[in-house]
Amino acid sequence: MFHWLERNPFFFAVGVFLVIAYAGAVTILPDFMETARPVVGTKPYTVLELAGRQVYIKDSCNACHSQLIRPFKSETDRYGMYSLSGEYAYDRPFLWGSKRTGPDLMRVGNYRTSDWHEYHMLEPKSVVPGSIMPAYKHMFKNNADIDTAYAEALTVKKVFNAPYDQPNMPKLGTHEEAKKAVMEEAALVVADMKSQEVKEAFKRGEIKEIVALIAYLNRLK
Amino acid sequence: MNWLNDNVNALSLLGAAAILILSAFIIGKYLKQMKTDKGSGELAKENWDGIGEYKNALPIGWALSFVGTIVWAAWYFLAGYPLASYSQLGEYNQEVKSYNTKFESKFANPDKSTLMSMGEGVFLVQCAPCHGVTGDGMNGKALNLSKWGSEAAIVASILNGAKGSNYPLGEMPAGLLDAESAQAVAAYVMQEISVVKKTKNPALVESGRALWATCAACHGEDGKGMAGSAADLSVYGDAKFVVNVLGMGKKGMIGNMPKFNDGRLTNVQKTAVGTYVSSLAK
Repeated sequence: MFHWLERNPFFFAVGVFLVIAYAGAVTILPDFMETARPVVGTKPYTVLELAGRQVYIKDSCNACHSQLIRPFKSETDRYGMYSLSGEYAYDRPFLWGSKRTGPDLMRVGNYRTSDWHEYHMLEPKSVVPGSIMPAYKHMFKNNADIDTAYAEALTVKKVFNAPYDQPNMPKLGTHEEAKKAVMEEAALVVADMKSQEVKEAFKRGEIKEIVALIAYLNRLK
Repeated sequence: MNWLNDNVNALSLLGAAAILILSAFIIGKYLKQMKTDKGSGELAKENWDGIGEYKNALPIGWALSFVGTIVWAAWYFLAGYPLASYSQLGEYNQEVKSYNTKFESKFANPDKSTLMSMGEGVFLVQCAPCHGVTGDGMNGKALNLSKWGSEAAIVASILNGAKGSNYPLGEMPAGLLDAESAQAVAAYVMQEISVVKKTKNPALVESGRALWATCAACHGEDGKGMAGSAADLSVYGDAKFVVNVLGMGKKGMIGNMPKFNDGRLTNVQKTAVGTYVSSLAK
């Protein structure tokens, strides 16, 4: 019965692939279909939040902070409700992380304020005594890259059908509209902040990296 | 632990024994065959580098058990244990349930020192990031709890107003009374209304009682806050006052203090934090 396959290594390999692929598909797909849908209320990131996310990735925050609350009581006691896969529907790439040098950030938006984040990035020890986190003072000097963030938002809208510009979802619009929306959003964050340097830069029309990062962190909830 | 009490263990041991016995039997059979058997039977067409292969008939017993295993596996994965009845979140729910039962039975009637140590632990994880390890608010990053809940704090509230507690009657404005009257009202509240029931200025209590009318407009004659319309001062200085704040959240000067009503703190834990925080002022 298998003599023919034994004599044809190529078709034998195809057969092996088919068997394993079938097994994988029936085990993975049904659960994936069920849980990968966006949780109700999950929205794509706004342009400012995306810019903050890029800062988060650029400065490797995910090397020490994870964004995945596991379903164990000790975890949920400290960090809140465990994470559901549907909550990451618009994360490209996801930033789960496995290292917990710092606490989990999945629900940080509900439990920290803009002001707290500002202190934390400027001088971590001032809010967490004994913290080994380095200070990220350059975030108060560098401008956030809004254009790249807009390009990313437009890309995920066109390629992955992220639901921008739909009812109850964030507006994206044209580049100019997006820039205006970013300024409005940033104004709220800047108003909550203390740094005069950042406030003055914002009056000149510049958005510092820290503003975008705080917008992103406030979004995590 | 008695290994045979568990069905899975018993089945595993039985299976292991069966495999051992079958292996011994089959190995013995083939060893004997290697010693005595002569080459016979029909050769297949293929010839691998000079080595031929017999055309062996499909062993019926093996074929049946092979198909049977596949059928059984399909049943096991789709309908039988474990996929049909196991979920990680289900395990989480069970873990939480059994933990909570244990917690409730152990801490049904906690004494003061238990509450204090439990409260300190919860405070360090949930409150210290903003209020500081010592509760002093870390240079104004959050409210300084080492004064909060004391007589001095009442005076400060009357002079500076009280913000952000989300009561239906709104925020308490600053400057309702002058500094001297504020002292008197604070003494009255501490002695007559709060659970502390004593004041550092007993001489001022009576004049405070006369001035109480200003406060009674919102907090009510008895200071109980008219059924939740304003802060209930009858629990001032007590853990319950802190528990109210934990449940309502607070809009502070630097941002929102979250509501701790997402289930991460049990009632006992809230009381424990309240007991610990109340103790900071003394």
